[in-house]
Amino acid sequence: MANAKPLATLRSATGIPTGRLAVWWVLASEVVIFGGLLGTYIMHRLGHPEWAEAASHTQTWIGAINTFVLLTSSFTAVLAHQAAEKGNGKEAAKLLGFTILGALTFLVIKSFEWANEISHGYTITANTFWSFYYTAAGLHALHVIAGAIIMGVVAVDAYRGRELHRVELIGIYWHFVDVVWIFLFPLLYIAK
Amino acid sequence: MSGNNEHNEHHDDGHGGGHHVNYFAIYVALVVLFLISVAGPEVGRITGLPWITLITAFGIALVKANLVIDNFMHLKWEKRLMKWLLTTSVLLMVLMVAGISPDVLNHEGNNWENLAAKEATARGLGGDDHGDGDHAEEGGAAEVAEAAPAGFSAAGSFGTVCATCHGAGGQGDGPAGMALDPKPANFTDPAFWEGRDRARIVTVIRDGAAVVGGSALMAPWGALYTPEQLEEMADYVMSLRPN
Ligand code: HEC
Repeated sequence: MANAKPLATLRSATGIPTGRLAVWWVLASEVVIFGGLLGTYIMHRLGHPEWAEAASHTQTWIGAINTFVLLTSSFTAVLAHQAAEKGNGKEAAKLLGFTILGALTFLVIKSFEWANEISHGYTITANTFWSFYYTAAGLHALHVIAGAIIMGVVAVDAYRGRELHRVELIGIYWHFVDVVWIFLFPLLYIAK
Repeated sequence: MSGNNEHNEHHDDGHGGGHHVNYFAIYVALVVLFLISVAGPEVGRITGLPWITLITAFGIALVKANLVIDNFMHLKWEKRLMKWLLTTSVLLMVLMVAGISPDVLNHEGNNWENLAAKEATARGLGGDDHGDGDHAEEGGAAEVAEAAPAGFSAAGSFGTVCATCHGAGGQGDGPAGMALDPKPANFTDPAFWEGRDRARIVTVIRDGAAVVGGSALMAPWGALYTPEQLEEMADYVMSLRPN
Protein backbone atom coordinates (compact mmCIF):
# COMPACT_ATOMS: atom_id res chain seq x y z
CA MET A 1 0.00 0.00 0.00
CA ALA A 2 2.49 2.54 1.17
CA ASN A 3 4.72 2.06 -1.84
CA ALA A 4 1.89 2.84 -4.20
CA LYS A 5 1.48 6.29 -2.70
CA PRO A 6 2.84 9.30 -4.55
CA LEU A 7 6.25 10.23 -3.26
CA ALA A 8 5.09 13.66 -2.15
CA THR A 9 2.90 12.19 0.56
CA LEU A 10 5.82 10.34 2.10
CA ARG A 11 8.52 12.94 2.31
CA SER A 12 8.52 16.35 3.81
CA ALA A 13 10.92 19.24 3.50
CA THR A 14 9.32 21.07 6.39
CA GLY A 15 9.53 18.21 8.87
CA ILE A 16 5.75 18.30 9.06
CA PRO A 17 3.94 15.28 7.61
CA THR A 18 2.54 16.27 4.23
CA GLY A 19 -1.07 15.61 5.13
CA ARG A 20 -0.90 17.77 8.21
CA LEU A 21 0.91 20.50 6.34
CA ALA A 22 -1.95 20.47 3.84
CA VAL A 23 -4.59 20.74 6.56
CA TRP A 24 -2.78 23.70 8.09
CA TRP A 25 -2.67 25.38 4.69
CA VAL A 26 -6.40 24.86 4.32
CA LEU A 27 -6.97 26.37 7.75
CA ALA A 28 -4.69 29.31 7.01
CA SER A 29 -6.94 30.19 4.09
CA GLU A 30 -10.05 29.49 6.16
CA VAL A 31 -8.82 32.01 8.71
CA VAL A 32 -8.95 34.65 6.00
CA ILE A 33 -12.36 33.51 4.72
CA PHE A 34 -14.08 33.47 8.10
CA GLY A 35 -11.96 36.32 9.39
CA GLY A 36 -13.01 38.54 6.51
CA LEU A 37 -16.65 37.71 7.04
CA LEU A 38 -16.62 38.13 10.81
CA GLY A 39 -14.43 41.23 10.60
CA THR A 40 -16.88 42.82 8.20
CA TYR A 41 -19.76 41.86 10.45
CA ILE A 42 -18.08 43.41 13.49
CA MET A 43 -17.39 46.66 11.63
CA HIS A 44 -20.99 46.96 10.49
CA ARG A 45 -22.33 45.98 13.88
CA LEU A 46 -20.30 48.74 15.49
CA GLY A 47 -21.21 51.24 12.80
CA HIS A 48 -24.93 50.49 13.01
CA PRO A 49 -26.31 50.79 16.53
CA GLU A 50 -29.78 49.99 15.19
CA TRP A 51 -28.71 46.38 14.57
CA ALA A 52 -29.05 45.80 18.30
CA GLU A 53 -32.79 45.49 17.78
CA ALA A 54 -32.44 42.76 15.15
CA ALA A 55 -29.69 41.01 17.12
CA SER A 56 -31.91 40.84 20.20
CA HIS A 57 -34.09 38.29 18.39
CA THR A 58 -31.48 35.55 18.08
CA GLN A 59 -32.19 32.65 20.41
CA THR A 60 -29.40 32.52 22.95
CA TRP A 61 -30.33 29.15 24.41
CA ILE A 62 -30.28 27.39 21.10
CA GLY A 63 -26.90 28.91 20.33
CA ALA A 64 -25.68 27.87 23.77
CA ILE A 65 -26.79 24.25 23.37
CA ASN A 66 -25.07 24.10 20.01
CA THR A 67 -21.90 25.55 21.51
CA PHE A 68 -21.93 22.79 24.08
CA VAL A 69 -22.55 20.16 21.39
CA LEU A 70 -19.59 21.35 19.32
CA LEU A 71 -17.27 21.59 22.34
CA THR A 72 -18.16 18.02 23.23
CA SER A 73 -17.64 16.83 19.67
CA SER A 74 -14.21 18.45 19.69
CA PHE A 75 -13.45 16.50 22.84
CA THR A 76 -14.43 13.17 21.25
CA ALA A 77 -12.42 14.11 18.15
CA VAL A 78 -9.26 14.61 20.18
CA LEU A 79 -9.91 11.35 22.03
CA ALA A 80 -10.18 9.65 18.63
CA HIS A 81 -6.79 11.11 17.77
CA GLN A 82 -5.40 9.75 21.02
CA ALA A 83 -6.80 6.27 20.25
CA ALA A 84 -5.36 6.40 16.73
CA GLU A 85 -1.94 7.28 18.14
CA LYS A 86 -2.12 4.13 20.21
CA GLY A 87 -2.92 2.23 17.03
CA ASN A 88 -6.45 1.45 18.18
CA GLY A 89 -8.37 1.99 14.97
CA LYS A 90 -11.65 0.55 16.21
CA GLU A 91 -11.72 2.85 19.21
CA ALA A 92 -10.79 5.80 17.02
CA ALA A 93 -13.60 4.94 14.62
CA LYS A 94 -16.09 4.74 17.49
CA LEU A 95 -15.03 8.12 18.84
CA LEU A 96 -15.20 9.65 15.38
CA GLY A 97 -18.71 8.20 15.23
CA PHE A 98 -19.60 10.16 18.36
CA THR A 99 -18.12 13.27 16.76
CA ILE A 100 -20.28 12.75 13.67
CA LEU A 101 -23.26 12.35 15.98
CA GLY A 102 -22.34 15.72 17.47
CA ALA A 103 -22.19 17.25 13.99
CA LEU A 104 -25.63 15.85 13.15
CA THR A 105 -27.10 17.06 16.44
CA PHE A 106 -25.70 20.50 15.72
CA LEU A 107 -27.26 20.53 12.26
CA VAL A 108 -30.66 19.29 13.44
CA ILE A 109 -30.80 21.95 16.16
CA LYS A 110 -29.70 24.57 13.67
CA SER A 111 -32.39 23.62 11.17
CA PHE A 112 -35.10 23.94 13.84
CA GLU A 113 -33.65 27.26 14.88
CA TRP A 114 -33.63 28.60 11.33
CA ALA A 115 -37.06 27.21 10.51
CA ASN A 116 -38.43 29.00 13.54
CA GLU A 117 -36.75 32.28 12.65
CA ILE A 118 -37.76 32.13 9.00
CA SER A 119 -41.37 31.40 9.96
CA HIS A 120 -41.30 34.61 12.00
CA GLY A 121 -40.16 36.54 8.96
CA TYR A 122 -36.50 36.84 9.93
CA THR A 123 -35.22 35.79 6.53
CA ILE A 124 -31.85 36.43 4.92
CA THR A 125 -33.32 39.45 3.14
CA ALA A 126 -35.06 40.96 6.19
CA ASN A 127 -32.15 43.32 6.81
CA THR A 128 -28.37 43.38 6.79
CA PHE A 129 -28.06 41.90 10.25
CA TRP A 130 -30.00 38.82 9.22
CA SER A 131 -28.02 38.62 5.98
CA PHE A 132 -24.82 38.38 8.00
CA TYR A 133 -26.45 36.00 10.44
CA TYR A 134 -27.42 33.48 7.78
CA THR A 135 -24.26 33.92 5.74
CA ALA A 136 -21.86 33.45 8.64
CA ALA A 137 -23.76 30.63 10.35
CA GLY A 138 -24.54 29.07 6.96
CA LEU A 139 -20.92 29.06 5.84
CA HIS A 140 -20.06 27.52 9.19
CA ALA A 141 -22.80 24.90 8.82
CA LEU A 142 -21.41 23.95 5.39
CA HIS A 143 -18.10 23.29 7.13
CA VAL A 144 -19.88 21.13 9.68
CA ILE A 145 -21.49 19.11 6.89
CA ALA A 146 -18.20 18.71 5.01
CA GLY A 147 -16.43 17.71 8.21
CA ALA A 148 -19.05 15.10 9.07
CA ILE A 149 -18.78 13.51 5.63
CA ILE A 150 -14.98 13.39 5.66
CA MET A 151 -15.04 12.04 9.21
CA GLY A 152 -17.28 9.24 8.02
CA VAL A 153 -14.74 8.26 5.36
CA VAL A 154 -11.84 8.47 7.80
CA ALA A 155 -13.74 6.48 10.42
CA VAL A 156 -14.43 3.63 8.00
CA ASP A 157 -10.72 3.42 7.16
CA ALA A 158 -9.71 3.70 10.79
CA TYR A 159 -12.06 0.89 11.74
CA ARG A 160 -10.11 -1.35 9.37
CA GLY A 161 -6.85 -0.12 10.85
CA ARG A 162 -5.95 1.91 7.77
CA GLU A 163 -4.70 5.49 7.39
CA LEU A 164 -4.82 6.13 11.10
CA HIS A 165 -2.86 9.37 10.75
CA ARG A 166 -5.89 10.85 9.04
CA VAL A 167 -7.78 10.75 12.32
CA GLU A 168 -5.56 13.54 13.55
CA LEU A 169 -5.92 15.48 10.31
CA ILE A 170 -9.70 15.53 10.30
CA GLY A 171 -9.51 16.32 14.02
CA ILE A 172 -7.47 19.45 13.40
CA TYR A 173 -10.01 20.60 10.85
CA TRP A 174 -12.87 19.80 13.21
CA HIS A 175 -11.34 21.79 16.06
CA PHE A 176 -11.05 24.72 13.70
CA VAL A 177 -14.76 24.47 12.93
CA ASP A 178 -15.31 24.49 16.68
CA VAL A 179 -13.08 27.55 17.10
CA VAL A 180 -15.06 29.44 14.46
CA TRP A 181 -18.24 28.71 16.36
CA ILE A 182 -16.58 29.80 19.60
CA PHE A 183 -16.40 33.26 18.01
CA LEU A 184 -19.74 33.14 16.23
CA PHE A 185 -21.55 32.34 19.47
CA PRO A 186 -20.72 35.57 21.31
CA LEU A 187 -20.95 37.61 18.11
CA LEU A 188 -24.43 36.45 17.14
CA TYR A 189 -25.99 35.37 20.43
CA ILE A 190 -24.32 36.92 23.46
CA ALA A 191 -23.34 40.50 22.63
CA LYS A 192 -26.76 42.00 22.09
CA MET B 1 2.93 0.52 17.24
CA SER B 2 0.92 -0.01 14.08
CA GLY B 3 2.56 -1.28 10.96
CA ASN B 4 1.37 1.71 9.01
CA ASN B 5 4.27 3.58 7.48
CA GLU B 6 2.82 7.01 7.65
CA HIS B 7 1.69 6.43 11.14
CA ASN B 8 5.22 5.62 12.21
CA GLU B 9 6.55 8.58 10.38
CA HIS B 10 4.00 10.62 12.18
CA HIS B 11 5.45 9.47 15.47
CA ASP B 12 8.97 10.20 14.35
CA ASP B 13 8.28 13.85 13.88
CA GLY B 14 8.40 14.36 17.62
CA HIS B 15 4.88 15.69 17.64
CA GLY B 16 2.47 12.82 18.10
CA GLY B 17 3.39 10.82 21.16
CA GLY B 18 5.68 13.31 22.83
CA HIS B 19 3.21 15.21 24.99
CA HIS B 20 0.52 14.19 27.37
CA VAL B 21 -2.43 16.46 27.65
CA ASN B 22 -5.22 15.77 30.05
CA TYR B 23 -7.90 16.18 27.44
CA PHE B 24 -10.69 15.72 29.92
CA ALA B 25 -9.39 18.54 32.10
CA ILE B 26 -9.22 20.80 29.04
CA TYR B 27 -12.76 19.83 28.12
CA VAL B 28 -14.04 20.60 31.63
CA ALA B 29 -12.28 23.96 31.52
CA LEU B 30 -13.92 24.72 28.16
CA VAL B 31 -17.38 23.85 29.48
CA VAL B 32 -16.91 25.98 32.60
CA LEU B 33 -15.75 28.93 30.50
CA PHE B 34 -18.70 28.39 28.20
CA LEU B 35 -21.13 28.49 31.13
CA ILE B 36 -19.58 31.74 32.34
CA SER B 37 -19.97 33.27 28.88
CA VAL B 38 -23.66 32.32 28.84
CA ALA B 39 -24.16 33.76 32.31
CA GLY B 40 -22.32 36.95 31.34
CA PRO B 41 -25.28 39.00 30.05
CA GLU B 42 -27.30 38.13 33.18
CA VAL B 43 -24.46 39.22 35.43
CA GLY B 44 -24.08 42.35 33.35
CA ARG B 45 -27.76 43.13 33.72
CA ILE B 46 -27.97 42.46 37.46
CA THR B 47 -24.83 44.46 38.23
CA GLY B 48 -25.68 47.12 35.66
CA LEU B 49 -22.18 46.81 34.21
CA PRO B 50 -22.61 46.01 30.50
CA TRP B 51 -18.87 45.79 29.89
CA ILE B 52 -18.90 42.58 31.90
CA THR B 53 -20.75 41.00 29.00
CA LEU B 54 -18.07 42.11 26.56
CA ILE B 55 -15.37 40.50 28.67
CA THR B 56 -17.29 37.30 29.29
CA ALA B 57 -18.29 37.10 25.63
CA PHE B 58 -15.10 37.95 23.76
CA GLY B 59 -12.42 37.55 26.43
CA ILE B 60 -13.65 34.05 27.12
CA ALA B 61 -13.97 33.26 23.41
CA LEU B 62 -10.29 34.09 23.01
CA VAL B 63 -9.31 31.93 25.98
CA LYS B 64 -11.44 29.04 24.76
CA ALA B 65 -10.09 29.29 21.21
CA ASN B 66 -6.59 29.32 22.62
CA LEU B 67 -7.22 26.21 24.69
CA VAL B 68 -8.61 24.36 21.69
CA ILE B 69 -5.86 25.48 19.32
CA ASP B 70 -3.05 24.68 21.74
CA ASN B 71 -4.26 21.42 23.21
CA PHE B 72 -6.70 19.86 20.75
CA MET B 73 -5.08 21.01 17.54
CA HIS B 74 -1.66 20.67 19.16
CA LEU B 75 -0.41 23.85 17.63
CA LYS B 76 1.64 24.29 20.79
CA TRP B 77 3.83 21.40 19.69
CA GLU B 78 3.73 22.11 16.00
CA LYS B 79 6.76 23.29 14.02
CA ARG B 80 7.29 27.01 14.22
CA LEU B 81 6.76 27.36 10.49
CA MET B 82 3.10 26.51 10.96
CA LYS B 83 2.58 29.11 13.63
CA TRP B 84 4.06 31.73 11.31
CA LEU B 85 1.82 30.65 8.50
CA LEU B 86 -1.31 30.94 10.62
CA THR B 87 -0.17 34.17 12.22
CA THR B 88 0.32 35.60 8.76
CA SER B 89 -3.27 34.75 7.92
CA VAL B 90 -4.54 36.40 11.06
CA LEU B 91 -2.40 39.48 10.40
CA LEU B 92 -3.69 39.77 6.82
CA MET B 93 -7.21 39.63 8.17
CA VAL B 94 -6.48 42.29 10.79
CA LEU B 95 -4.88 44.42 8.08
CA MET B 96 -8.01 44.16 5.96
CA VAL B 97 -10.29 45.10 8.84
CA ALA B 98 -8.04 47.95 9.91
CA GLY B 99 -7.93 49.28 6.37
CA ILE B 100 -11.66 49.23 5.82
CA SER B 101 -12.94 50.09 9.26
CA PRO B 102 -12.53 53.89 8.99
CA ASP B 103 -14.91 53.80 6.04
CA VAL B 104 -17.40 51.42 7.59
CA LEU B 105 -17.43 52.65 11.17
CA ASN B 106 -17.81 56.29 10.15
CA HIS B 107 -20.70 57.42 8.08
CA GLU B 108 -18.98 60.55 6.89
CA GLY B 109 -15.51 61.88 6.31
CA ASN B 110 -13.76 64.99 5.05
CA ASN B 111 -15.29 64.89 1.62
CA TRP B 112 -17.71 62.01 1.65
CA GLU B 113 -20.92 61.02 3.30
CA ASN B 114 -22.53 57.58 3.40
CA LEU B 115 -26.17 58.57 3.02
CA ALA B 116 -27.51 55.03 2.87
CA ALA B 117 -25.82 54.08 6.13
CA LYS B 118 -26.93 57.29 7.83
CA GLU B 119 -30.50 56.81 6.76
CA ALA B 120 -30.47 53.15 7.73
CA THR B 121 -29.29 54.11 11.19
CA ALA B 122 -31.73 56.98 11.55
CA ARG B 123 -34.59 54.81 10.37
CA GLY B 124 -33.56 51.87 12.54
CA LEU B 125 -33.26 53.95 15.68
CA GLY B 126 -36.06 56.41 15.05
CA GLY B 127 -38.26 53.85 13.33
CA ASP B 128 -38.77 52.12 16.65
CA ASP B 129 -41.39 54.52 18.04
CA HIS B 130 -42.90 54.58 14.60
CA GLY B 131 -43.40 50.85 14.58
CA ASP B 132 -44.72 50.80 18.12
CA GLY B 133 -47.17 53.56 17.28
CA ASP B 134 -48.52 51.67 14.31
CA HIS B 135 -49.03 48.57 16.34
CA ALA B 136 -50.60 50.46 19.19
CA GLU B 137 -53.27 51.55 16.74
CA GLU B 138 -53.88 47.94 15.90
CA GLY B 139 -54.82 47.31 19.50
CA GLY B 140 -51.55 47.62 21.40
CA ALA B 141 -50.36 44.20 20.32
CA ALA B 142 -46.78 44.55 21.45
CA GLU B 143 -46.22 40.86 20.84
CA VAL B 144 -47.02 41.38 17.20
CA ALA B 145 -44.37 44.06 17.03
CA GLU B 146 -42.02 41.57 18.63
CA ALA B 147 -42.65 38.97 15.97
CA ALA B 148 -42.69 41.25 12.93
CA PRO B 149 -39.23 41.75 11.47
CA ALA B 150 -38.05 44.79 9.58
CA GLY B 151 -39.33 43.34 6.31
CA PHE B 152 -40.91 45.39 3.58
CA SER B 153 -42.67 48.61 4.44
CA ALA B 154 -43.52 51.28 1.92
CA ALA B 155 -42.34 54.02 4.27
CA GLY B 156 -39.12 52.13 4.89
CA SER B 157 -38.48 51.56 1.22
CA PHE B 158 -39.27 55.16 0.39
CA GLY B 159 -36.72 56.13 3.05
CA THR B 160 -34.01 53.95 1.52
CA VAL B 161 -34.64 54.19 -2.19
CA CYS B 162 -36.56 57.36 -2.95
CA ALA B 163 -35.59 59.75 -0.16
CA THR B 164 -32.09 60.32 -1.53
CA CYS B 165 -33.74 62.34 -4.30
CA HIS B 166 -37.26 63.08 -3.12
CA GLY B 167 -36.28 63.79 0.49
CA ALA B 168 -37.42 61.93 3.58
CA GLY B 169 -40.65 63.90 3.62
CA GLY B 170 -41.17 63.66 -0.15
CA GLN B 171 -40.63 67.38 -0.64
CA GLY B 172 -38.18 66.88 -3.48
CA ASP B 173 -35.33 68.04 -1.28
CA GLY B 174 -33.28 64.85 -0.94
CA PRO B 175 -29.50 65.30 -0.77
CA ALA B 176 -28.92 63.73 -4.18
CA GLY B 177 -31.87 65.57 -5.70
CA MET B 178 -30.39 69.04 -5.25
CA ALA B 179 -28.14 68.72 -8.23
CA LEU B 180 -30.73 67.25 -10.57
CA ASP B 181 -32.44 69.00 -13.43
CA PRO B 182 -35.39 68.72 -13.47
CA LYS B 183 -35.75 68.66 -9.72
CA PRO B 184 -37.30 65.55 -8.20
CA ALA B 185 -41.05 65.87 -7.76
CA ASN B 186 -42.29 67.49 -4.55
CA PHE B 187 -45.20 65.32 -3.46
CA THR B 188 -46.36 67.83 -0.85
CA ASP B 189 -46.86 70.54 -3.45
CA PRO B 190 -50.54 70.85 -4.51
CA ALA B 191 -49.36 72.01 -7.95
CA PHE B 192 -47.65 68.69 -8.50
CA TRP B 193 -50.92 66.84 -8.08
CA GLU B 194 -52.74 68.79 -10.76
CA GLY B 195 -53.55 66.35 -13.52
CA ARG B 196 -51.91 63.41 -11.79
CA ASP B 197 -53.76 60.37 -10.52
CA ARG B 198 -52.85 57.18 -8.77
CA ALA B 199 -52.56 55.13 -11.97
CA ARG B 200 -49.92 57.52 -13.24
CA ILE B 201 -47.97 57.27 -10.00
CA VAL B 202 -47.97 53.46 -10.23
CA THR B 203 -46.80 53.63 -13.85
CA VAL B 204 -44.03 56.10 -13.05
CA ILE B 205 -42.70 54.11 -10.11
CA ARG B 206 -42.75 50.93 -12.17
CA ASP B 207 -41.60 52.17 -15.57
CA GLY B 208 -39.92 55.49 -14.87
CA ALA B 209 -41.02 59.05 -15.68
CA ALA B 210 -39.73 58.82 -19.26
CA VAL B 211 -42.71 56.71 -20.32
CA VAL B 212 -45.10 59.53 -19.36
CA GLY B 213 -42.94 62.12 -21.08
CA GLY B 214 -40.93 63.06 -18.01
CA SER B 215 -37.24 62.89 -17.26
CA ALA B 216 -35.25 59.66 -17.34
CA LEU B 217 -33.67 60.81 -14.09
CA MET B 218 -36.73 59.29 -12.46
CA ALA B 219 -35.70 55.74 -13.23
CA PRO B 220 -37.99 52.68 -13.37
CA TRP B 221 -38.06 50.95 -9.98
CA GLY B 222 -40.42 48.12 -10.91
CA ALA B 223 -37.75 45.46 -10.44
CA LEU B 224 -37.54 46.32 -6.75
CA TYR B 225 -41.15 45.57 -5.90
CA THR B 226 -43.75 42.88 -6.16
CA PRO B 227 -47.06 44.10 -7.64
CA GLU B 228 -48.54 44.40 -4.13
CA GLN B 229 -45.53 46.30 -2.87
CA LEU B 230 -45.78 48.58 -5.88
CA GLU B 231 -49.35 49.40 -4.88
CA GLU B 232 -48.17 50.11 -1.34
CA MET B 233 -45.48 52.43 -2.67
CA ALA B 234 -48.08 54.30 -4.69
CA ASP B 235 -50.32 54.50 -1.61
CA TYR B 236 -47.44 55.93 0.32
CA VAL B 237 -46.73 58.58 -2.30
CA MET B 238 -50.46 59.39 -2.45
CA SER B 239 -50.50 59.77 1.32
CA LEU B 240 -48.06 62.68 1.00
CA ARG B 241 -50.58 64.59 -1.10
CA PRO B 242 -51.81 67.67 0.74
CA ASN B 243 -55.58 67.91 1.13
C1 HEC C 1 -32.13 59.54 -8.76
C2 HEC C 1 -33.11 60.38 -8.10
C3 HEC C 1 -34.51 59.79 -7.91
C4 HEC C 1 -34.86 58.69 -7.18
C5 HEC C 1 -33.94 57.76 -6.40
C6 HEC C 1 -36.30 58.61 -7.26
N1 HEC C 1 -36.79 59.59 -8.03
FE1 HEC C 1 -38.75 59.92 -8.41
N2 HEC C 1 -38.22 61.54 -9.54
C7 HEC C 1 -36.94 61.99 -9.74
C8 HEC C 1 -36.97 63.14 -10.64
C9 HEC C 1 -35.75 63.94 -11.09
C10 HEC C 1 -38.32 63.36 -10.94
C11 HEC C 1 -38.91 64.41 -11.84
C12 HEC C 1 -39.06 63.86 -13.21
C13 HEC C 1 -39.64 64.87 -14.14
O1 HEC C 1 -40.05 65.94 -13.69
O2 HEC C 1 -39.70 64.56 -15.32
C14 HEC C 1 -39.09 62.34 -10.24
C15 HEC C 1 -40.45 62.20 -10.31
C16 HEC C 1 -41.18 61.26 -9.61
C17 HEC C 1 -42.64 61.15 -9.66
C18 HEC C 1 -43.57 61.99 -10.45
C19 HEC C 1 -43.52 61.61 -11.92
C20 HEC C 1 -44.62 62.29 -12.71
O3 HEC C 1 -44.26 63.08 -13.58
O4 HEC C 1 -45.78 62.00 -12.43
C21 HEC C 1 -42.97 60.13 -8.82
C22 HEC C 1 -44.38 59.62 -8.52
C23 HEC C 1 -41.75 59.61 -8.26
N3 HEC C 1 -40.69 60.31 -8.76
C24 HEC C 1 -41.70 58.57 -7.37
C25 HEC C 1 -40.54 58.02 -6.92
C26 HEC C 1 -40.47 56.87 -6.06
C27 HEC C 1 -41.67 56.17 -5.45
C28 HEC C 1 -39.18 56.60 -5.89
C29 HEC C 1 -38.59 55.46 -5.08
C30 HEC C 1 -38.95 54.16 -5.50
C31 HEC C 1 -38.40 57.57 -6.62
N4 HEC C 1 -39.24 58.40 -7.23
C32 HEC C 1 -37.02 57.59 -6.65
C33 HEC C 1 -35.79 61.48 -9.22
C34 HEC C 1 -35.72 60.35 -8.44
